[in-house]
Amino acid sequence: MKPALESRSVTKRFGDFTAIDSVSLAFEPGKVHAVVGQNGAGKTTFSRLICGLYEPSAGEILLDGSPLRAGDIRSTREQGVDMVHQNFSLPPSFTVAEALELFDDNSKPLMSRAALERKWNAALDRHGSPINVRKRVRDLSVETRQSLEIIRALEGHPKVLILDEPTAVLAPPEVQSLFERVHRLRDSGLTILIILHKLSEVFAVADTVSVLREGAVTLATTPIRDVTAQEITQHIIGPDTNLPQIATEVRGIAHSHEQPTAPPAKTPVMALSHISAAAGQSDRALDDVSLTIHSGEILGIAGVEGNGQETLLDILSGHQRSESGSMHLLGEDVTKASTLDRRRKGVRFVPSDRNAQGISLTTSLWENISLTDLLIEGTRWFSPRARKAVALEKLGTWKVRYRNPEQLAGELSGGNVQRVILSRELGTGTRLVIAGNPTRGLDLAATAFVRASLSALADDGVAVIVVSADLDEVRDISNRICVLRGGRIVADLPGGASITEIGSAMVGGDNA
Amino acid sequence: MLRNNGRLVARSFSMILIAIVLSTVVFQLSGYSAGEAISGFIQGAITGPGALMSTVRWAVPLAVVGVGVVLSFRAGFFNVGAQGQLYVGAIAAAAIGPVVPGPGFVKVAVAMVCAALAGMLWSLIAAWLKTSTGADEVLTTLMLNFIGTLLLQYVTNGPLRDLSGSGQVASAPPLGSEMRITGSSGVSAVNIALVLAVLVGAWLIVNRTTFGLSSTIVGRNAQVATRQGVNSRSVIWVTFGLSGALAGVAGAFEVLGPTGRLIQGFSPDVGFTGILVALVAGLTIAGVAFAALFFGALAAAIQFLPIVTNLPTSALEILQGLVALLITAKLRARWKRRSRPDSPPAREESNAGNDPAVAAPPPVGDGAP
Repeated sequence: MKPALESRSVTKRFGDFTAIDSVSLAFEPGKVHAVVGQNGAGKTTFSRLICGLYEPSAGEILLDGSPLRAGDIRSTREQGVDMVHQNFSLPPSFTVAEALELFDDNSKPLMSRAALERKWNAALDRHGSPINVRKRVRDLSVETRQSLEIIRALEGHPKVLILDEPTAVLAPPEVQSLFERVHRLRDSGLTILIILHKLSEVFAVADTVSVLREGAVTLATTPIRDVTAQEITQHIIGPDTNLPQIATEVRGIAHSHEQPTAPPAKTPVMALSHISAAAGQSDRALDDVSLTIHSGEILGIAGVEGNGQETLLDILSGHQRSESGSMHLLGEDVTKASTLDRRRKGVRFVPSDRNAQGISLTTSLWENISLTDLLIEGTRWFSPRARKAVALEKLGTWKVRYRNPEQLAGELSGGNVQRVILSRELGTGTRLVIAGNPTRGLDLAATAFVRASLSALADDGVAVIVVSADLDEVRDISNRICVLRGGRIVADLPGGASITEIGSAMVGGDNA
Repeated sequence: MLRNNGRLVARSFSMILIAIVLSTVVFQLSGYSAGEAISGFIQGAITGPGALMSTVRWAVPLAVVGVGVVLSFRAGFFNVGAQGQLYVGAIAAAAIGPVVPGPGFVKVAVAMVCAALAGMLWSLIAAWLKTSTGADEVLTTLMLNFIGTLLLQYVTNGPLRDLSGSGQVASAPPLGSEMRITGSSGVSAVNIALVLAVLVGAWLIVNRTTFGLSSTIVGRNAQVATRQGVNSRSVIWVTFGLSGALAGVAGAFEVLGPTGRLIQGFSPDVGFTGILVALVAGLTIAGVAFAALFFGALAAAIQFLPIVTNLPTSALEILQGLVALLITAKLRARWKRRSRPDSPPAREESNAGNDPAVAAPPPVGDGAP
């Protein structure tokens, strides 16, 4: 069959760095094509080339056999290729109708609000979506925003739709309904390119799979029934390495840290009692949350996104104050303690939004790493040379791939950024780690690395709280799981709890 | 970091060069001789009698104000109230200095400290409005400029008015020679030493202290900084205080230096040009020294030009305006993106919660180098 979309020896260079190296892939029409690979493998660059955001340095992209005019998303959209980005593109402060109109190429210059809302109400009805056109985009849940982004793209009647890591922001039931939708779209004749991280998802949704490694194709559009998960993994990671090996290596790294002598097992480290707090940014308020975490424990907080997770993280980190209730850290009242006070007492944070909260992308690596230590030590003056040396050592221990410590954090890939954050946070004196979505958007090796690091810390007697929308993650590493729903803890389950047990607590099954 | 800073300064100075070329084109098209303008500029700023002195005279207050602006802009606070803070500082120096008992250097020292405190208090009004009500500092500091200017007008016409003076411009009585840190040339070992001390001190704060690093990261991404344990409220207070104090000191430099007395509406551009100095310097302290000299040269030439050529002073204001425009428009960054589509789009960091630009590429993916 003639491919709907084809890339012929497409190469993309950024300066002297080759992100995509002579990639030739052909995608048949009316199928779901998965593209997988590690962080930095070039998946996102590849999809941006196809959607016209980047122009290839060499090679060409063909749409229905004729060359795609690139360099301008608007014209590629007219030609029939559209993309739903990982970071959503609809302006949060607009209403749904306004946001959709913004992307409509046939938009009239003058239109009454009523007409605008009628127009998009009708459009949403066509897509069977119950979204209220008057709501502001920022007030929608993540799932609804994603659904709106897809509708936005469909309204341009594309022939090829690219979804860039759509599952990274969704809870399991939401992933399920997204995949059902993808299948419906495919059955209506749309060609879909979907960038994914999890192999289970590849098998659940895709018809073919392609693998990129270091910018080159290692597996080209192979029908999904012809490959095994094992084979795909080999293509992703490369011939010389395998996952168990990485995990062992990682355990070595994490253990090589000097840790304080482990406190006696099962001492309570952090105790929240009857904490209530106002809603944080686009999240829910906390309602009478009581929770105790012990040393050596990994407590997973599961829940559908937007049920109070961000507020809980902000309360734990001292970024936000609770309205009532109290918090004790190792027996000491820290209800009103500042973030810095908590850090000084051994609390460390891995924020849930790496790029917005975890690291300053426009600041050098060594400065990003040094600030925490300087603040905790209370040092007023510092020598950049000495601080750079410390940072270099941390970057080395955590095997961050970087060019030099002056490099801006924004130049690193997601997995490496997370390593930088971990290297900064998980130093000596750690008693409690609070991690939000610690492996979101990370590839297999990086995920294994992060999880192994957290387990190793727990083995050393550190208490770890992992707040994650990824149920697999919570189940994989936690030895106790609490479920947050509507700002309350609705279940406190052992680590081995089944997916159905946790899932029903998340969506409010029998114990609602 | 040094290399990055070097690139920033180089970019700024190439912008200045473009501005000079563009403005000579404007001069030529408006019927003036471009050659005459350039030679007039060089004479007025460098080669003419007393020209270099005049350049340094204007560079001094510009450097002091510029350093203050760098400190607040780096932390992400757009304190554009240097002019008002400068006036309030000058008023404090002129009002309190003369009544202090003791030898001249004590009077000068007290006057300087009072000027710093007055400038600081003036800018802390904006800091207080920001921390307590969330009022935007651009608006409040700009408004406080007007109040500062009117306050100076009141003081020079009222309480401090020199009744013996016959000038049309209201002013306070001239200060005694023991209180002057420079003669009318505006350049002396004392004020040069003080400017260097300010530059070195500020450089140390920015590059060697935890406070400097904290405030830089607050300016780039406040969320990250506060989650590291930075107290952003105290960063606001300290940076506003420091930048106000420096503008106040610049005011004292003027009164105790070249003007020698408090004059209504003196040095009306220093506070605003100081912002340009900071921007041209790429918000680096080292850059401020060079940028202050450049704008000092412009200020010197502006005063000289009408004397030797028939060019109006507004000619150099065109040049100054073009520099401001080119620097703030970051034109080069655009050109670079156009001419080299291979470079990845610049990633601007947004504080979470702000709208990402419509249809802008998502800030971070896994494909960038």
